Amino acid sequence: MPGSPGVILTIMNNDLNKNTFLFLLAAIGLIVLPHFYNIPMSVFAMFYGLLIWRVLTVWKPNWLPNKFVLLLLTVACLALLYFTHHGLLGRDAGTRLFVVALGLKLMEIKSTRDFYLVTFLAFIVAASLFLYQQSILMAVYIAFVCCVLLGTLVSINSTKPQIGLAIKTAAIILLQALPMTIIIFMLFPRIPAPQWMYFNQQHSAKMGLSDSMEPGSISNLGTSDELVFRVKFTGAIPPPADRYWRGPVFSYTDGKKWSPIPSLQYLPPPEKPGFSGIAYQYTLLMEPQDQHWVFALDMPVEYPQNLRLNANYQLNTTEHPDKRAEYKITSYPNYQTKSIKKIEYQSALQLPAAPSIKINQLVEQLHGFDQPPAAYIKQVLQHFRTENFRYTLHPPLLEDRPIERFLFETRQGFCEHYATAFVYLMRAAKIPARVVTGYQGGELNKVGNFLDIKQAHAHAWTEVWLENQGWIRVDPTAAVAPERIEKDLNIDQQVSSGLISFAPTGNSALAVSWLKQARQFWGNVDYNWQRWVINYDNSNQSEFLNNLGISDLKTMMYWMAGLITVFTALLSLWLLYNPNKNNDPVLLAYQRYSKQLAKHGLLRLTGEGVGAFAERCKLKLPSHAKEIDRITQLFIKLRYGNKPGARELKYLKKYIAQFKIAKMTAVGK
Amino acid sequence: MSKLSLSDRFRLSRFFNGKKATAEPITLSQRRIFIIPTQRGLGFAVLISLLLLIAFVYGNNLTYLLAFLLASVFFITILHTYRSLSGLVVQAGQSPAVFAGENAGFNIFINNPSKIPRYNVQISLEQTVQATIPAFGNYQVKLYSSTRQRGWHQLGKVTVASIYPFGLFRAWSPLRFGMRVLVYPKPAAKQIPFPETASAKSLQGTSTKGNDDFYGLQTYHAGDSIKHIDWKTYAKGIGLFTKQYSGDNSAEIWLDYEHSPGYNIEERLSQLCRWVLDAEQAGIRYGFALPGTKLNPDFGQHHYQKCLEALALF
Repeated sequence: MPGSPGVILTIMNNDLNKNTFLFLLAAIGLIVLPHFYNIPMSVFAMFYGLLIWRVLTVWKPNWLPNKFVLLLLTVACLALLYFTHHGLLGRDAGTRLFVVALGLKLMEIKSTRDFYLVTFLAFIVAASLFLYQQSILMAVYIAFVCCVLLGTLVSINSTKPQIGLAIKTAAIILLQALPMTIIIFMLFPRIPAPQWMYFNQQHSAKMGLSDSMEPGSISNLGTSDELVFRVKFTGAIPPPADRYWRGPVFSYTDGKKWSPIPSLQYLPPPEKPGFSGIAYQYTLLMEPQDQHWVFALDMPVEYPQNLRLNANYQLNTTEHPDKRAEYKITSYPNYQTKSIKKIEYQSALQLPAAPSIKINQLVEQLHGFDQPPAAYIKQVLQHFRTENFRYTLHPPLLEDRPIERFLFETRQGFCEHYATAFVYLMRAAKIPARVVTGYQGGELNKVGNFLDIKQAHAHAWTEVWLENQGWIRVDPTAAVAPERIEKDLNIDQQVSSGLISFAPTGNSALAVSWLKQARQFWGNVDYNWQRWVINYDNSNQSEFLNNLGISDLKTMMYWMAGLITVFTALLSLWLLYNPNKNNDPVLLAYQRYSKQLAKHGLLRLTGEGVGAFAERCKLKLPSHAKEIDRITQLFIKLRYGNKPGARELKYLKKYIAQFKIAKMTAVGK
Repeated sequence: MSKLSLSDRFRLSRFFNGKKATAEPITLSQRRIFIIPTQRGLGFAVLISLLLLIAFVYGNNLTYLLAFLLASVFFITILHTYRSLSGLVVQAGQSPAVFAGENAGFNIFINNPSKIPRYNVQISLEQTVQATIPAFGNYQVKLYSSTRQRGWHQLGKVTVASIYPFGLFRAWSPLRFGMRVLVYPKPAAKQIPFPETASAKSLQGTSTKGNDDFYGLQTYHAGDSIKHIDWKTYAKGIGLFTKQYSGDNSAEIWLDYEHSPGYNIEERLSQLCRWVLDAEQAGIRYGFALPGTKLNPDFGQHHYQKCLEALALF
């Protein structure tokens, strides 16, 4: 039934709409900006070249490209896409395509239709940003730009475009849309996409430890504030000394490099360990990473089905690790491993070559050959503690005979140096030992009561296998820098100085400083954002909805429809309900005045002007002529004047309130 | 609701409005406002679907969120577009008579009795006018309707519509007002001498003679010929007076349908219309005769209009 509006709004030739158009261009410029890191520089430059060109043509309309130039531009863009191509499908290719299409479409905005097309393309580019980053800041940024985009739409649909007012209108509508958005977000069924639709691309999110170790290869890791995973405990939080988050285990060494034994990585543990003591239940939120590793608290007992425990007692996920994932795990810090495989035992004794005389002398000196292993371990740790070994994140490079040089010459290093040297000394004394890597500690967020484990918490420790006791954890770094293990690492200080200070951070005044609190508050917000927004997937949703008693798809749909109906009804009521049809204060005041006159038989006739009515009233009520004039003039000024003010309204109300007609003055009836 | 039942309902309401031809304001309410997505609205729906597809493929919750936000905005826009018309009071005014082929101009008054300004109101008859109606404000526009035939011409359907705020939905309200305008026949283009009648001999050249004998002044009455206004007295500020002449009826003609040339009724009426115009302009006293109607010779606005009315409604 509705035809086209009939009038085509010409955007370009209208000065009033220049502002609207500039706002559209600004919004588009903002929306592509964060893609700086995501698209090739050439595509980025091409887009902004086109945008700037378009901005200039707002003032110089004859600079607009003609059809031939436009064709050349299109060919150039296609060529650019071809040479920087990453396939036809997928995130990167799609983003580039839409960015370039947006740039080209900008050059030929002729009608309202083109204006809409550009806006729609901008929304798609906005969505593509989310495929790269899902932080709160990005969401707020995109929300802001979307508001401007919608504002430009309001503006071109207003008879008198006022861009400021239009953006305000858009913001109000966006706010009104928010509750419904949340309803749909919660209840819209999340079905995982089938595998064939999943464009498996190598995301450049480089996180986590490496799959082999060479002391010195992670020298920069210690100062990185990057989040690796978060842990929220349902009950008690383990003390710092128990917070060992287990990662890859390295047994094989060529003297410099340490790497895992492949067969152990894909086998289940030969026997379930025995557990005792306190159990910790927690939810682990892994950030996207390249490896399948899941860093559980040593030692995990219960874990979701999509995780596998290998013979190194390390958890691995069977799903794509490049997405945030959440796991519910139960761990016991007190455990005892049982039997051991032959290969495991042998690999834990492997050495690249026979130990040098110097090493053998040291082992002998520390009673490695003549005393039980437990005593020898103590001696070695004592050696580290007393023989002027120093903990530093910036050790000298050890390219040749690293362990020997570390033990006898430099005596400076971080966890990896100590762990590898310790394992070497154990193996030299025929005690099975291996290096375990992972994370140690974690920053407690007091607001949200969860632990943040960052790259700075990366750690390497060792395990020694003792008869009847199984694998025993020994952390040689603790011997040198016990604070590294027992206290939370003060990352702020570490970052600012570049070095870790091991002075006790018991200064509670510092700990509760507002800066730290703000950081923790933000961390908490961020945690909940990730937990409830970004990671709100199929399983999370069903768990959350189950708690609310919504278990199946049908109920979900009913709830969604029901809630949307209720919300719409409330919103309609609020938007459309008009309790007093004449709630114009000026009219209401005039009505009071008219009522006074009506009591004396003076009724305004249909079609009679206010002025004419006043003249008629003055004839009947000569004693009130002055008042009538005053009220009528104010009323006309307020109702039809250019800029009615609040002051005039106040006076009008005052005069009308004072307007009382005495009975006897109503003569002439 | 089918399209037919909608138009049926409107035939009904038109019937009501038609009864009371004079100023009967119409308040736009849910019974009168209809709403449907525009082409751009459908495009927006496609955009939302595309965003949902991206969100699904990548399992990206923020893209889901964006898609849901836009979907909610889309949905809420229905209320806002409806609100941009709801409550408006539309009233049509009477149009002065026109000649066939001319455009009849109807005044349309719109009152906004609410505190919500209406930023995009399209009022269309044959052409569309866009307006902003401020809070508690009024708007007036003259809409033209082209006429072809003499007789009564109905105002027809006035559509008040809005696509505010995003242009994704169009709310419209077809309003039928009972206003009608009288359309006179189109005056013939050719100048043909007045018909020779018994009482009008040699009228050419004597046309103004009859006005020669000044008789006195009389207060001006609406309809008096402008040519007879005594501008001198008016300039003195005494008032508006019309000069009165002793009527010698020497220049008196009869414009009779029977003497009007033409192949059919319309052509003859057209010619008659031309004569009436010319006679009035020349200031000649003219009588007017149609089968069944006879107006004695006279001149002035009143007489002139009576003749034209008779022509229009013949």
